[in-house]
Amino acid sequence: MKQKRRPGIAFTIICAILLSQAAFAVMVQAIGAILFTNSFKKEYATSTYYMANTAAALINGDHLDGYAAGEAAEEYELTRQRLDVYCRKMHVSLLYVICVDTSDYGRFVSIFNSVDNTVDNTSYTEWELGFRRDTTNDEYRKKYRAMYEKTAPYETVYRTTRLNGHNPHITTMVPVSDSAGNTVGILCIQRPMRELRDAYRPYLVSVAVWAMVSCAVTGALAAFYIRRQFLRPIQKTADEAIRFARENTKGEPLGKISRLREIDDLAGAIDTMESDMLTYIENLTSVTAEKERIGAELSLASTIQENSIPNIFPPFPDRTEFDIYASMTPAKEVGGDFYNFFLIDDDHLAMVIGDVSGKGVPAALFMMVTNILLSDRTHMGGTPGEILTYVNRNLCEHNKADMFVTLWLGILEISTGKVVFANAGHEDAAVCSKDGAFALYKTRHGFVAGGMQGIKFRDFELQLQPGDKLFLYTDGVPEATDGENRMFGMDRTLDALNANREKTPQEILEGVHGSVDAFVGEAPQFDDLTMLCLHYIGADKKNDVHELTVDATPENLGAVTEFIDGVLQEAGCPMKTQMQIDLAVEEIFVNIAHYAYEQETGKATVLITLGQDPRAAHITFLDSGKPYDPLGKKDPDITASAEERKIGGLGVFLVKKTMDNVQYVYRDGRNILSFQKNL
Amino acid sequence: MNILQEKNGTELAIALEGRLDTMTAPELEAALKDAFEGVETLVFDLEKLDYISSAGLRVLLSAQKTMNRQGSMKVTHANEIVREIFDVTGFADILRIE
Repeated sequence: MKQKRRPGIAFTIICAILLSQAAFAVMVQAIGAILFTNSFKKEYATSTYYMANTAAALINGDHLDGYAAGEAAEEYELTRQRLDVYCRKMHVSLLYVICVDTSDYGRFVSIFNSVDNTVDNTSYTEWELGFRRDTTNDEYRKKYRAMYEKTAPYETVYRTTRLNGHNPHITTMVPVSDSAGNTVGILCIQRPMRELRDAYRPYLVSVAVWAMVSCAVTGALAAFYIRRQFLRPIQKTADEAIRFARENTKGEPLGKISRLREIDDLAGAIDTMESDMLTYIENLTSVTAEKERIGAELSLASTIQENSIPNIFPPFPDRTEFDIYASMTPAKEVGGDFYNFFLIDDDHLAMVIGDVSGKGVPAALFMMVTNILLSDRTHMGGTPGEILTYVNRNLCEHNKADMFVTLWLGILEISTGKVVFANAGHEDAAVCSKDGAFALYKTRHGFVAGGMQGIKFRDFELQLQPGDKLFLYTDGVPEATDGENRMFGMDRTLDALNANREKTPQEILEGVHGSVDAFVGEAPQFDDLTMLCLHYIGADKKNDVHELTVDATPENLGAVTEFIDGVLQEAGCPMKTQMQIDLAVEEIFVNIAHYAYEQETGKATVLITLGQDPRAAHITFLDSGKPYDPLGKKDPDITASAEERKIGGLGVFLVKKTMDNVQYVYRDGRNILSFQKNL
Repeated sequence: MNILQEKNGTELAIALEGRLDTMTAPELEAALKDAFEGVETLVFDLEKLDYISSAGLRVLLSAQKTMNRQGSMKVTHANEIVREIFDVTGFADILRIE
């Protein structure tokens, strides 16, 4: 739909001026007409009065009553002729003398009556002597009375508008007196007011013409002035504003562009705004660049921090005695929480979790120092208590910023399940026995590390049975806060753990994280969220690792399948599960055979371990081909029609769908793909 | 794997026995290539098929595409394992399974 164009300022203002001028002209005409009519009437009344008085002097008032009775006929005739002459010479249309019945002035008798119809194109007939008539109306009656009672020297009746076919005229009456001075009759003269009518029209026309001329001139002047002092400056200002909005560059200043103060102010304001805005943009650009630089550095720092701790899972794919998983979610780009775990030797696994006071970059730096000190010292041997004592001493020596860190350090003896640990002000670990529930393993805490010189930390012991799980965390978990400032708390933490206690360490941590997220809702994450979970499977199952290395060619698929089936059958695996595992083994092995080594032939190793708790087959493929993550590929669209279906990716998709815990990692030049299946 | 073909006019019945995997799928593909001529109804009897992998699915998909052009195809008597694979991969929506 086309939008109706709205009228512009010039059009509106000029229309308003013309309208008001027209209204003014009409008003001037009306007032002029009234004043003109009044002065004209006054002038006419006076002159007609003189004329009437002159005529009245021709009449002998003493005989007036007698004329009607036929007395003094000669004198009457003479007077009548004189009056006729007078009537014609003086250009009056009617001249008459009447005697009014003074009882109520309702009737009169005509004495003289001269008519000159040529004067005003009238058609009166003369009244004869003695003609009787009723008084025309109350106005005449009142005026007749005034004449007889001599309350006024004369009376006038105006007819300024056309009435009953008569043109505007004036009727002036004067008393006719006898020699004693008494009023005996009334002389009336009706005189046309042609001049009034004749003068009226030119007056109106000239006023109208002058009004139109004046309208045109002022309209043109207004248009010229508005365009020059108002419209053009406004348009220029608007153009400049639009240009600036589009280009954001410095333009020609508008300067003084109008004599009108408001317009000039507006242009000045636009000029000022532009220069201010440009300054602001400049500032913002440099601030933004600075922010981006800091952001890039933080992001790099965050990567360095993440990679300073093990973050590739599974970390030890060929160790079947335990499964370990950890996660760290910093509240800011870099955080003060950390975890770490590493093998000290074949039989000892160190696990650390820590929380540095404060957050952000300072905390991250302190955490890096702590982590390096701790892992270096741990590799040198000694108990966790000795290690923490050493770490504390070193942290205190160089701690000018009064920062401190809580630490939980444990060393697991893999063959026996014995954990020796020390605690520097950190939260108690939670332990879940094979058939029980997660519970806190409470011990006395030492003081925080870095807080005070010369503290000795005690060692504690904890025995893990095969199937037991150990959960470490920072205060970010129980102290996660929702929108109403309620804390997640230890009870909810344990509930979340127990709800997932049958699952793998990764699933347990994801479960707890999910519970925390659901609890916190929209509230911003305040503290780092760090967790570590160890599943102690036990060393006695170590002998169950079966290993086969073959050339990675499709022809060896039969040998691989046979090897896997042999192990599975020995374990009493149901046929259906065996078929599913066969399928996964085939897809993965054929993938390696086809793609890992391109034209050459390389080796592929398959490991199968039978876990007892739960009863499951853990299968791992290793090859030294080019790095390739088959799990990174997008799943095929299984809803497409036959014609649109692509066959690629279906094999890996089948593995993902039918096997559990499918994981890929590239480490030490080897592609390591593992999965498990409960038997 | 054994491939038993029985042709009856424009109807071709193929019974598969054993494992349809990476090694055996090319055999079936070759056998089908020769047998498609003039076939309007293709029936796979999978009663004795123990196992199927993605390589086997590929052959079934290309057979389905061929038969879409010249007639119809159906798959019968698939066992639980095979049927589950059809379900997981969305083949259950593409193939006519009886």
